[in-house]
Amino acid sequence: MIRLENVTVRAGHRVLVDDVSLRVEPGSWCTIIGANGAGKTTLVRAVSGLTRPDQGRISIQGRDVHTLSERERARGIAFVPQHPEIPSGMRVLDYVSLGRVPHHGVMRAPRVLDHQVVADVIERVDLGAFVHRDVVSLSGGERQRMVLARALAQGTSVVVLDEPITGLDVRHQLSILELLQREVLECGLTVLATLHDLTLAGQFADRLILLHEGRVLADGDSSCVIRSPALAQSYGIEVAVVNVEGVDVVVPRVGVSYREPRGNPGKV
Amino acid sequence: MIAAGSPPGVRRLIVVSGAVSIALVVAIGVGLAVGPIPIPANRIGGALVSYLGLGHSTLNPTQSLIVWQIRAPRLVLGLVAGSMLAVAGASYQGVFRNPLADPYLLGVAAGAGLGATLAIVKVGSSALIPAWTPWLAFGGALIAVAATWFIGGRSVRSTTATLLLAGVAVSALLTSVQTYLQQQASAQSLARVYIWLLGSLAGASWHSVGIITPYVLVSLGVCLLSARALDVMSVGEEEARSLGVRVRHVRWAVVAAASLGTSAVVSAAGLIGFVGIIIPHALRLVVGVSYRRIVPLSLVLGAAFLVLADTVARTVMAPSELPLGVVTALIGAPIFVVILSLRRPS
Repeated sequence: MIRLENVTVRAGHRVLVDDVSLRVEPGSWCTIIGANGAGKTTLVRAVSGLTRPDQGRISIQGRDVHTLSERERARGIAFVPQHPEIPSGMRVLDYVSLGRVPHHGVMRAPRVLDHQVVADVIERVDLGAFVHRDVVSLSGGERQRMVLARALAQGTSVVVLDEPITGLDVRHQLSILELLQREVLECGLTVLATLHDLTLAGQFADRLILLHEGRVLADGDSSCVIRSPALAQSYGIEVAVVNVEGVDVVVPRVGVSYREPRGNPGKV
Repeated sequence: MIAAGSPPGVRRLIVVSGAVSIALVVAIGVGLAVGPIPIPANRIGGALVSYLGLGHSTLNPTQSLIVWQIRAPRLVLGLVAGSMLAVAGASYQGVFRNPLADPYLLGVAAGAGLGATLAIVKVGSSALIPAWTPWLAFGGALIAVAATWFIGGRSVRSTTATLLLAGVAVSALLTSVQTYLQQQASAQSLARVYIWLLGSLAGASWHSVGIITPYVLVSLGVCLLSARALDVMSVGEEEARSLGVRVRHVRWAVVAAASLGTSAVVSAAGLIGFVGIIIPHALRLVVGVSYRRIVPLSLVLGAAFLVLADTVARTVMAPSELPLGVVTALIGAPIFVVILSLRRPS
């Protein structure tokens, strides 16, 4: 379980995440949504241990993320950044194998188990045909699957992803999200992700958290958050939610100015 | 199931490892046998074997003196210096993720240059390079790197970019002082400064080899042990942290080790350029980007390359010598261009 207690992150005098508390249950998928600058990336970086909160506590399975050593943390949480660095000249197999470094360490060679895990993950993400290819020769969708494979190779119970489908076409977006969903359902993985596509966020996540200016504006079941008036307030546009064959599709309303609601939209 | 243990590059790695090992053996043979006074290789071989208690040496006393007191220490200094410069270059390139990084990046060259210039210019009456030049060069190099680290590397927020910029600033400052000292020096002192700056193994002795070797061995050990961490850091410092690597510790260890070893080498052999750039790059072109391959192969190829370059430096214009830094560039650059042009796209 991921647990945040009154987490605040500042950059100088600017508050990026403001007193956020939440719990993400094991084996569930929680997606953080919100406009650019809402604090989504800062929040997931803090959960991953890359940014230290100025106040509050973040724990995973009861252990404070920021008191763990880097290696212990990497065995508990895998992080996929928004723009992963792809080192030219490295083979896909070697890149995915980096995910096993937290287990065998940087002073020792991978063991048989590490090779087996990497081979298994590569099959799960369907990259078997590319293992000996240079990482830079892959398409955007293949690269993202490779980055995800590296994260899955870490064998952690929690995967944190920052905008994992940015820059991908619809087919590859679905392929990445379906892959993650399979890991949640079949392997009990806990996923904490940020997404910009509200329709896909609603389709795949068990729970949505709407962040606005560093604070949680709405938190709950996907369909409730998507239909909440807080959504329009957060993005500053009017949106319509249309149900198409059981799927809530969020449609921005072109040419309609956002109007502030009379009451406080409050938390969902 | 993926055949994780049988990538297609393994055969190439075996071939390259064999080739660089042969190059090293050839370099050792050439370094001992070739010189202005020809000594047959079989006699040198016989003398080597006699040390193991098998047979007896057929070298006459003069030949024995030339081989064991002149060529052998020079050969060992070449092996030690070449391996250290190449490994330091590869490690710097890994830790800074910058293909143009070389062992002199953080002020080693400028600090050692200033130290040596100070020693030479202040002893203007002597016709020789003063005996304490290596110590001042060594101290100057270490102080320069320490200053660079103090300015750009000790903060928690420091990055490789801040460290590089600090190195540029420190180097510029020390070079300006060195230039001022050179301007004040006599023509005789100035010539000696230039001889030192262009690098040479002519001053090699068992004493100098004995002094620098412990520093170099420790440095090589740290760099070799850090190779896997450098591979992880090639995906970026933050991602390396998320993979459990203590990036700041690795950076500190590699920079300290590579700088210490390079400072020791520079103090004994002057500023030998190009080895730290060309050797790791040439290997990268043929065996790939993994530092687990590049660092150990750089050790062997760097040693072989510098000994062969030194053999050229001391023989082509015998009895006078060419500056070693000139030879490393003259030999290395064309070879590098050929490898670059033969490189197949992945």
